[in-house]
Amino acid sequence: MIRSALVSLVVTAILLVLVVGIVLVPIAMRLPDPLAVLDMFVFGPFRNPRHAGNIVEMATPAMLCGLAVAIMFRAGMFNLGVEGAFFLGGLATVATVLVVPLPAFAMAPVGLLVGAVVGSSICAVPGYLKARYEASELVSSLMLNFAALFVGLFIVNYFLRDPAAGAMVSYKIPVDARLPRLVAGTRIHLGTVVAVAACLVGAVYLFMTRGGYESRIVGLNPSFAAHLGLPIRWITLRAQLIGGLIAAGAGGIEMLGLYQRFSWQSLPGNGWTGVVAAILARDNPILIIPAALFLSYLQVGGDLIARNFDVPSEAVGLIQALVLLVVTSSAIMRNPRLMRLVQGRGGAARPAEPKAVERSPA
Amino acid sequence: MTDLDLMGLVGFVPAILRVTTPVLLAALGVLISDRAGVLNIGVEGMMLSGAFAGVVASAATGSAAAGLVAAILVGGLLGALLAAAVHVLKSDLILSGIALNIAAAAGTTLLLFLMTGDKGMSGSLASQVLPKVTIPGIAELPVLGTLLSGHHVLTYAAFLAVPGVGLFLTRTPFGLRLRAVGESPESAAIAGINVVRVQTVALVVSGAFAGTGGAFLSMGYVSWFSQDMSAGRGFIALAAEVMGHGSASGTMFASLLLGAAEAIAVALQGRGLPSELMQSVPYIVPVIALVVYARRRQRRLART
Repeated sequence: MIRSALVSLVVTAILLVLVVGIVLVPIAMRLPDPLAVLDMFVFGPFRNPRHAGNIVEMATPAMLCGLAVAIMFRAGMFNLGVEGAFFLGGLATVATVLVVPLPAFAMAPVGLLVGAVVGSSICAVPGYLKARYEASELVSSLMLNFAALFVGLFIVNYFLRDPAAGAMVSYKIPVDARLPRLVAGTRIHLGTVVAVAACLVGAVYLFMTRGGYESRIVGLNPSFAAHLGLPIRWITLRAQLIGGLIAAGAGGIEMLGLYQRFSWQSLPGNGWTGVVAAILARDNPILIIPAALFLSYLQVGGDLIARNFDVPSEAVGLIQALVLLVVTSSAIMRNPRLMRLVQGRGGAARPAEPKAVERSPA
Repeated sequence: MTDLDLMGLVGFVPAILRVTTPVLLAALGVLISDRAGVLNIGVEGMMLSGAFAGVVASAATGSAAAGLVAAILVGGLLGALLAAAVHVLKSDLILSGIALNIAAAAGTTLLLFLMTGDKGMSGSLASQVLPKVTIPGIAELPVLGTLLSGHHVLTYAAFLAVPGVGLFLTRTPFGLRLRAVGESPESAAIAGINVVRVQTVALVVSGAFAGTGGAFLSMGYVSWFSQDMSAGRGFIALAAEVMGHGSASGTMFASLLLGAAEAIAVALQGRGLPSELMQSVPYIVPVIALVVYARRRQRRLART
């Protein structure tokens, strides 16, 4: 059991290296010094504490969004409202700390709470519509993402906009509301601790509590769950409520942790990164932590080569897409020949390795 | 109703048809994929790629028709890739579709930058626009002229495709096989139908429709490509298809409803209502419509 998990980890790691290479090498070859580009992408993020800090900063929302996705997917709900919940949660948090007069110590907690509740609607409404009317949560959550974006921009423009600032951004977030920074020389903030803790609690919830167990049964086999007499509608709705609260809270944490003003003009994409992180971690909350760190490492590498060379950082999007594809590919991940090959490599018989390669086409 | 109001309403029809066209084209694509049991979530990315391919190919060749062909081919190619992801790599259908959307958003931006040095817009490419069609004899008539003539060529294509797709699905042997695969792949396979082939064809055709919808966006609706210009229209098409409950005509009426909502929102925006709120209307209406549709279906089930 542990051995097969290890094999799948090794295969995943090899695939990730391949995927990064497939996207990056052709782009690097176009430039005068391809090796410098690859070097910057692979090692650049670790050369400087500020960039290493960037990895952790970016992994924070990815962990929380990934956790939100994992909890909903585990319950069998293809709810993609994480993106909109993250956006609206960030906005509602900023709006609360700007508009509501609060004592300094209460600003961040109250703001985050309101943000989480308001933003969670983007996941909860599709969940309710699914439970009550059997309307596809996939389609309605995709729609509500965009609705959240435009309603949010309306609120920023008409109620929170700072006329003194040039762009369409909110007033400055009060200093008292911002989350404390933890590591000097980086922007790593309290939210990272919250995110890691949330993933651990999420693992306990999914694997060690009754609620998590119920939602996994519903996700794995709804008809079995129905036979057991489980309240399926409530269980799926609960998973989407929890997912929405986490994703929206992540948006608030992101705002109070890193931003001076609410400045998103479009959906920031963290929700989709969360989907990739959750899938990469196979919906396991503990594994979401390294998965999120890896994805943000790629993003920091991409940003670095974008800043130093003539390459847009969007290349990272291609890598994310390929990761999503190969990791869910059961032709690769459940290929018995490949598994045996890797297992052989992990064992003592290293010289046998080329033979195994020769044998595999036959 | 006075004559003036009537004329205003008639004058509004072209606007509705214009915003309906890309949604309808993509929704027909979704319909074909859905009936084959492989719901095409990648329709959003296929539209975006089609829009991009149309601009690039028409700028390179100087021919709008070549742009349209390129958009159709790229859409079809992406459909084939999605089919390969599902059948060769055996990846999850929905997640592969999401991957395709992420890849299309990143890939078009990347290619646009490599070609023009600009990440946002294709302004520097001399791309072509597909023509509007004036029907001689009808164009001169007072009301019918506005209703039937002077629309974009792809608007006609989209509405003519509705009976085409409907007949294809319900009255041809391949359409029957396609629906059989969608109903139950196992039974279809036992009956001797090549499930992989049918689903691959469905996804390729689906992609071609989405690509055509994309071509309308960049070669009709506007005359350039901009980053993420599909802006969720593929997802709206998904909603339209669900609302149309599996029939081509139902999908058309749903698309028209969503198109009308968007056109009204655009018009109200011109009257000074907050543009952001109006922009959210096309995404809220499908949710409401889905609920109304689902309630009707539940009541119907309760009665039987």
